[in-house]
Amino acid sequence: MLVTWKYRPRGTFLDSLDPRSRWITSFLILFAMVPIWHPYVMVGYFCLSMTQFFLSRLTWQETKRVWFFIIFLIVIVIGLNAIITGRGGPGEIQRLEPHVLWERSFNILGATWTPNITVEKIGFGITQMFRMMGTAVLFFIIPWTIDPSKYGVTFSGMGIPYRFAFSMDLAFRFVPTLARDFATTVDSQRARGYEVERLEGGLITQIRRVAPLIVPVVMNAIVNGEDITNAMDLRCFGQDKRTWIGKLQYRTRDYFWIGIGVAVFLGALYLNWGLNLENFFVPTWFYGLFGVVP
Amino acid sequence: MKDSNMWSFGTRQVVYAAIGAALYGVFSWATNFIPLPSVGNVTFRPAVVIPAFFGVAFGPLVGFLAGGIGNVLGDFLSGWGFFWNWSLGNGLMGLIPGLMAASVVSFKDRGTITKAIMYAIGGVVVGMLFASLTEMFTSGIDISTALVGYFTPAAIGNAIVIAVLLPIVMVAYDAVAARSGR
Repeated sequence: MLVTWKYRPRGTFLDSLDPRSRWITSFLILFAMVPIWHPYVMVGYFCLSMTQFFLSRLTWQETKRVWFFIIFLIVIVIGLNAIITGRGGPGEIQRLEPHVLWERSFNILGATWTPNITVEKIGFGITQMFRMMGTAVLFFIIPWTIDPSKYGVTFSGMGIPYRFAFSMDLAFRFVPTLARDFATTVDSQRARGYEVERLEGGLITQIRRVAPLIVPVVMNAIVNGEDITNAMDLRCFGQDKRTWIGKLQYRTRDYFWIGIGVAVFLGALYLNWGLNLENFFVPTWFYGLFGVVP
Repeated sequence: MKDSNMWSFGTRQVVYAAIGAALYGVFSWATNFIPLPSVGNVTFRPAVVIPAFFGVAFGPLVGFLAGGIGNVLGDFLSGWGFFWNWSLGNGLMGLIPGLMAASVVSFKDRGTITKAIMYAIGGVVVGMLFASLTEMFTSGIDISTALVGYFTPAAIGNAIVIAVLLPIVMVAYDAVAARSGR
């Protein structure tokens, strides 16, 4: 059971950026898009995220799992929105006059349930798809494109207290050791007759059966943690602000990258309050696709 | 045995937050290879006991970091990408149980265990509610979908796991805590 991080240097433009600028820009773009539901802006948002994805030079093989996950999530969420809740999205869609394409009534335990599909719901579902894809793609590339050894110094450089950042750095370092301990424990328990693959009994029994795998690893880690704490105390950890082995420095390209984030953020504010283009609407041509006159 | 200030974050807390996060990450990842019990769309992830336990044992900040960073690590290792709001929600799942850390006298005391379970389930509710409701802003879902599609399956699964596994881990830790001499 070997632990492998997803990151590997690819020599891309994104690799050359200071991780702080990556985080700052991603969050600026995310927050910029929160109040906006304009469908064309959402398409633009998705394109922006995909541009970053292509810049990362990630392959389908590397990321197919997360793509399937996102698509599955989107299908479930949009399906639930449209069918179960009977709304199809947040409040703004309700102010649109519905153009019903399909509707059926069901009698469930004396109550009538009438799910329907309208042009507005489909339009909203597509807009929502672009929004969810845009947000997911904006962030999911991070494990593949930021070096795990830089998280501590990155967050410390972004103003997170030193001890928190150090804890984060330490966590990344502990993972391989604890994964090895876990694998050893699984093997040891198997040697004692524990059948990992066997799932039988009630729900509670099944969950309890995982305890022999978890408890030894956790207790062993805690006991070893005392030694690590003592070693750090003996080296006067926390007495003064410490430096990091790796240093980060903003360069012109980082300011450029953050500038993109700021521009998107300010642009979104202008669209929202300057032009009032934040609301969802269904373009006239979209009604035409269903042979409906708006 | 306990620090007088449960919000203090000294060397010990730095180390145990890191260990908790690494354990949560490893268990989240490793249990991908082990069949897990599930009912409907609710999957029971045994790893969720880690942030709750580290919160109870070492305080709210340790629980928060164990849950938050651990979720990031698990997602990184499994290749799920990065979902910041769910990581924060997992952090809250460790922080809330940590609020009772100062009142722990013995980890095998029945009353303490019951209280820990209550706090941990409270943490699950707050954490998963936070993550689900923030999806309304990031994904544009409505509140019904957030509650039915996200919150309910996540909260039920996590609460059951915690109710079953937290007492086991606490009792096992009691001997270790007595031995540590801190």
